[in-house]
Amino acid sequence: MMLARFLRKARALFVLYLGYMLEYRAEIYLWVLASVLPLILLGVWAHAAESGAYPLSRVEFIRYFIAVFVVRQFSFIWVIWEFEDLVVSGNLSQQLLQPIDPVWRFVASHITERVVRLPLVLAVVALCFGLYPDAFWLPTAADFATAFVLLVLAFATRFALQYMMSMLSFWSERAASIEELWFVIHLFLSGLIAPLDVYPEPVRRITELTPFPYLIYYPVNLLLGRGAPFGQAALVLGVWGGLGWLLQRILWRRGLRRYSAMGN
Amino acid sequence: MARYARVLWLFWKTSLASELEYRLNFLLAVLSSLGHLAGNLFGLSLFYTRGGSLGGWPFHQALLVMGLFTTLQGMNRVLLSPNLQRIVEHVRTGTLDFVLIKPIDTQFWLSTRRISPWGLPDVAFGLGMVLYAAAQLDLAPARLALAIGPFLLSVVIQYSLWFMLASISIWYVKVHNVTEVLNGLLAAGRYPIDALPAGAYRFIFTFIIPVALLTTVPASVALEREGQRLLLLSVPFALGAFTFSRAFWRHALRSYTSASS
Amino acid sequence: MPDIRVDDLCKSYRVAVKATGIGGALRHLIRREHREIHAVQSVSFQVEPGEIVGFLGANGAGKTTTLKMLTGLIRPTSGQALVAGEVPFDRKRRFLQSITLVMGQKQQLMWDLPALDSLKVNAAVYDIPEAEAEARIARLAELLDVNDQLRQPVRKLSLGERMKCELLAALLHQPKILLLDEPTLGLDVNAQDAMRRFLRDYNREFGATVILTSHYMADIVALCPRVLLIHEGRLIYDGSLSGLVDRFAPYRQVRLDLAEPLERAALERFGEVEALDGLRAVLIVQRSRLTETVARVLAELKPRDLAISDPPVEQVVGRLFLEGVVSPIGIASPIPAAGATGTTGAAGTTGAAGESGNDPGSSP
Repeated sequence: MMLARFLRKARALFVLYLGYMLEYRAEIYLWVLASVLPLILLGVWAHAAESGAYPLSRVEFIRYFIAVFVVRQFSFIWVIWEFEDLVVSGNLSQQLLQPIDPVWRFVASHITERVVRLPLVLAVVALCFGLYPDAFWLPTAADFATAFVLLVLAFATRFALQYMMSMLSFWSERAASIEELWFVIHLFLSGLIAPLDVYPEPVRRITELTPFPYLIYYPVNLLLGRGAPFGQAALVLGVWGGLGWLLQRILWRRGLRRYSAMGN
Repeated sequence: MARYARVLWLFWKTSLASELEYRLNFLLAVLSSLGHLAGNLFGLSLFYTRGGSLGGWPFHQALLVMGLFTTLQGMNRVLLSPNLQRIVEHVRTGTLDFVLIKPIDTQFWLSTRRISPWGLPDVAFGLGMVLYAAAQLDLAPARLALAIGPFLLSVVIQYSLWFMLASISIWYVKVHNVTEVLNGLLAAGRYPIDALPAGAYRFIFTFIIPVALLTTVPASVALEREGQRLLLLSVPFALGAFTFSRAFWRHALRSYTSASS
Repeated sequence: MPDIRVDDLCKSYRVAVKATGIGGALRHLIRREHREIHAVQSVSFQVEPGEIVGFLGANGAGKTTTLKMLTGLIRPTSGQALVAGEVPFDRKRRFLQSITLVMGQKQQLMWDLPALDSLKVNAAVYDIPEAEAEARIARLAELLDVNDQLRQPVRKLSLGERMKCELLAALLHQPKILLLDEPTLGLDVNAQDAMRRFLRDYNREFGATVILTSHYMADIVALCPRVLLIHEGRLIYDGSLSGLVDRFAPYRQVRLDLAEPLERAALERFGEVEALDGLRAVLIVQRSRLTETVARVLAELKPRDLAISDPPVEQVVGRLFLEGVVSPIGIASPIPAAGATGTTGAAGTTGAAGESGNDPGSSP
């Protein structure tokens, strides 16, 4: 019974936000095009790898960055900006009056946005294969499935962590700046700029304690068929995500008290 | 004109005054810039492990390019992006009308109204990188100074491209983030153009999105590398892009519909 | 030499039409449908220096579009406008220095800083020497009574205070022509009143030409001896407000204090019964039959009191837009006396001379 009701609400939200995202598809496509850093790095590393100085071959580099491009499209979270907007404008009040937790709206908007992104992402990947036909590959069904599961976990963890950081909007008008700092660290530790294989050993070991490599590097490795320590990944992501979720619950309650105290 | 100078001074004075209300931002800006600096240096060094290189450029020469890129990005954050957000906001809320009513060049107003100190750490770090690289290369100051001219042309080119894209929001507010695409593509300016594979990549980033002109050319001029010949392309491109940005803006205004009350 | 001269001004837009829902969105991707909107159609008029003119019209009628074409913000599709002798869209400096635009609920002042800072920027833009600017600011602040508010951050001011500062900013360069788009929108009654008084005084003292659009009849009634009525993009009336009532509502209200209660049917012999409440009745009588009807009422009903007034302007205008009984040439058929529409509520009268007896309601 509970499940049926939940599914009905979920479906309604999904349809609502899908329509909304289709309306804004021009903007969404531009976001896809704006995230071409992996493709630029693809070119640079592929060219550099011709010298054979690195642990990966040219073709491996090309495949790596195509996979990074795809994975990145689906793991990117922007809830902190949306939430900050709601708090600052006071519109959060309307959402609080509804019988569902505001978080589900954000989840719905994130999922539907990715659905709309998908066609263009596939088109870009096709273009890459067109440029480098020798790098063409398709992951096996098993690899794809495990990568997908890991990506869902990665999405949940990153969402939980960023949503937790969004709570700071109750106290500061510039909470989104924290995300900028997070992004800098993410950029360099997650395997976005280069596969962790080329990192010096000590640095690499440090990164594995953080959740970052599990957001990009390991899902990519799974797609490439190079395997990844799934158990370890799930554990690290679970711990970080769980901590984020717990902290969010605490901050949410405190934050709401402050929000309503300010006459919203 | 004296009037424009007086207006510019007041624009920047009032803009800084309202930005500096948020002091925490400066700390965050410095931290963020430091993070990018460290990360970029680290990323650059990865190419040079085990005897590899970027397009045959020695490490410190590539560092010079990266320094120029960081400085350019910093100037972008100081001068351009604060104004960009405002343009889209103006179109959406209808306050662009107030700008158009004033007896002053609207492109000037929209491009210079705001200035943000948050990009200054980037500018500082970028210049630091440039000077460090120059010192390591035993580059004579006079030689390095030759890069200033081409670098200023880079600023003009980047501005013109950016303003042209911002003008598009007059028609379609929904594509306001088209300048983000430009930012994403300009990231290729981190590396010397020779780091990119010959063929499609190099062609696109030299002639279509002239990233090569932005950082590689000033560096090549200072280093007396072959790429400095592209300077012949920079000058007409800068002039052309700037002129076109003005014409394009005037064209956009003809279609301006202005929000109704 | 007219300050403003408009000939056959037209503005049309093409708008894409889209059905709702996902199906609609997908269809829209494949085939675009368009609709042509004629916002302004062949509008012509002239305004002499020092006049105060009101643009009246329903939402979307085209009055704001016309106004904005006079400011040079929107390029006309065809026709010509000359403001202060210049074509607005050319945006020549001489033209821009002679005009100003004030929009209700929209502001040009910087939000985080005191109004004074924004004023200094404006002074620089309009090339006003600092000493002169300070003098003007002082004088206008005095007139508007905002001396203390100039040094507070704009975001801390009330809406009324903000609008006053906006006016200051708009008038700093002493423009000859003031263009105002819904300037009293959202203001409370006192603030509205204050603004109207200020505009009247300013017009008197500086001889500035004022064009304003408004939804509030009280604005028009208080300020504008002349109105331009714009309906569905066309100018259907250009003249005095009292003339408007005469042309489009050739009827009068007759209010009666009856000696004894009467049935509605009994009153309907004399005219349309707009209201009947105990001993009080309001009749609507065609002007052409007013004298004879009044004579009959007095003779047959022997009311304790009788008063004749113009129908409230809001009601006239409201009915016009609701029923759309105006033809492009500007001659309207009389409003059919079909039942009581709106209330007579705040009965503002045109102040037309004549038989208006004790009319209740606000004096403008």
